[in-house]
Amino acid sequence: MSREVLITGLGFITSIGNDAAAVTANLREGRHGMTTWDYCGNPAVPVKVAAPVRDFTVDSPAWRDWSWPARYDIPRETLRGLAPHGVYAFCAMEQALADAGLTRADITDGGTGLFCASAGSAFMLHHHLAHARSSNFERGNPMGVVSSIAGTLNFNLAAHYGITGAVTGFVSACASSSHALGYAIDEIRLGRQQRMIIVGAEELNADTLLPFAPMRALSTNPDPATASRPFDTARDGFVGTGGATVIIVEEASLARKRGASIYAELIGWGQASDGHSVATSHPEGAGLREAMRRALRDAGVTPNEINYINAHGTSTPIGDRAEAIALHSVFTSAGAHPVISSTKGLTGHGLSMAGAMEAGFCALALREGFTLGNAHLVNPDPACEGLNLPRETGSARPSLILNNSSGFGGSNVCQVLRFYKSS
Amino acid sequence: MPEELPPLSPRPPLSPRNPLAKFPSSIRAAHERFLASGDVEALDMVVIAVVLDHQPTQARKSGEVVAPDTARLMADLGFDSLALAEIVFFLEDLYKVTITNEELMKITTVGELRAFVRTKVAAGRTA
Repeated sequence: MSREVLITGLGFITSIGNDAAAVTANLREGRHGMTTWDYCGNPAVPVKVAAPVRDFTVDSPAWRDWSWPARYDIPRETLRGLAPHGVYAFCAMEQALADAGLTRADITDGGTGLFCASAGSAFMLHHHLAHARSSNFERGNPMGVVSSIAGTLNFNLAAHYGITGAVTGFVSACASSSHALGYAIDEIRLGRQQRMIIVGAEELNADTLLPFAPMRALSTNPDPATASRPFDTARDGFVGTGGATVIIVEEASLARKRGASIYAELIGWGQASDGHSVATSHPEGAGLREAMRRALRDAGVTPNEINYINAHGTSTPIGDRAEAIALHSVFTSAGAHPVISSTKGLTGHGLSMAGAMEAGFCALALREGFTLGNAHLVNPDPACEGLNLPRETGSARPSLILNNSSGFGGSNVCQVLRFYKSS
Repeated sequence: MPEELPPLSPRPPLSPRNPLAKFPSSIRAAHERFLASGDVEALDMVVIAVVLDHQPTQARKSGEVVAPDTARLMADLGFDSLALAEIVFFLEDLYKVTITNEELMKITTVGELRAFVRTKVAAGRTA
């Protein structure tokens, strides 16, 4: 089994830019996407900062009210079934297809599959249910289900683009799009699909984000410049973000045959669960440790060969500490000291989208030749002692990158990406 | 201590949206005219505008934006059953009426829809 998996297209709608060029520049220069944010007009809510997407207006439950950059043509028959985060996903999809040099006609023959990840739209679900309840379920919006439930991305995008290969969604909270990417690698390795499109998206609104506040998972730091500071002793929770990332992966012979431009190679992935708590990480990151080892084993590389790790690091007290301990177990104890950073210091935490977004960042880092720093890190947590956590962007080109994701219930997923030398 | 649980959503209710907010001002004026005077020709204007607003754009022949009475919603204007259900939902919501599946099944053309809405909504108005 030697089918290679190459990343040939990326699309970004994020808090740090709405295309790969802007995202690359902001990652390199360490410019964050956080701002003071009023979630719901209630000053008593202690969460004051978020990382919104710019140039979109999708805060109404009615698609007629939405706006998005004019360069994207969303036909109303598609728009009517979308959730707000579906608008982001549509735009990121258009970008990724153009980036990969593909048209709709190229992805309809069954050789291309689509794996998506989002939490669905709590906002739309709430709106449609409240409306249905107002007539005691006598009336309801016919698009209420498909624009709301988890799966809304795959329903809509598969139908719009006419994708006839493997289509499904993944639900493992903040590991969801990492699972989508991992299983997409398998689809290609197993010869089931020649090309896979991976989509992660979420919306930034009170309905999606504020339910994390009672868990004490959100930062209540009112300063946009420091609210998200993964691995810092003063971290107090994550900062929410929305957006979408699309990754297109192809079997190497197909990509080469059509002369695709290649970002990076995906050479392995692994997953393991904590089997510990419904919401918090295992205190020593046991599942993440095992997931990293499995990913390295699958890729056939040793800890010493990894140059950079994009950590899950959400800026929560428990999660970052657990990840630091897991990183020590796999790397420090093997005498390996790769550069480690969490880009959530710049972007905030994209929940289901995070894994794909950060795998996209890793692909940019490999192609453009840089490593990412830890924005806002001042005093590293003592658990991080001995980990290589630079503040600034590094100019050395990494050759091997590990990307970590963790979700509720202790789901942990990691991928290994390798620099691809174009001939 | 209050005994009751707080309301499901502590968020202040969104200001009631005008479903026609994004429609041309002539259509909003027609809607107001119908509500004020029962002018059914004004109601017709709203119905036609709602049909055109929900028409799948990809089915439209080169820029053609018309919905004559004889046009069949599905065969000529490219509606699918969901887009049709959306029109019904939109009108139900706008005029606070309930349209049954049986009633919906009898409607094939724009003219039939227009006539049906006249009867249904005007009846609701006087009820």
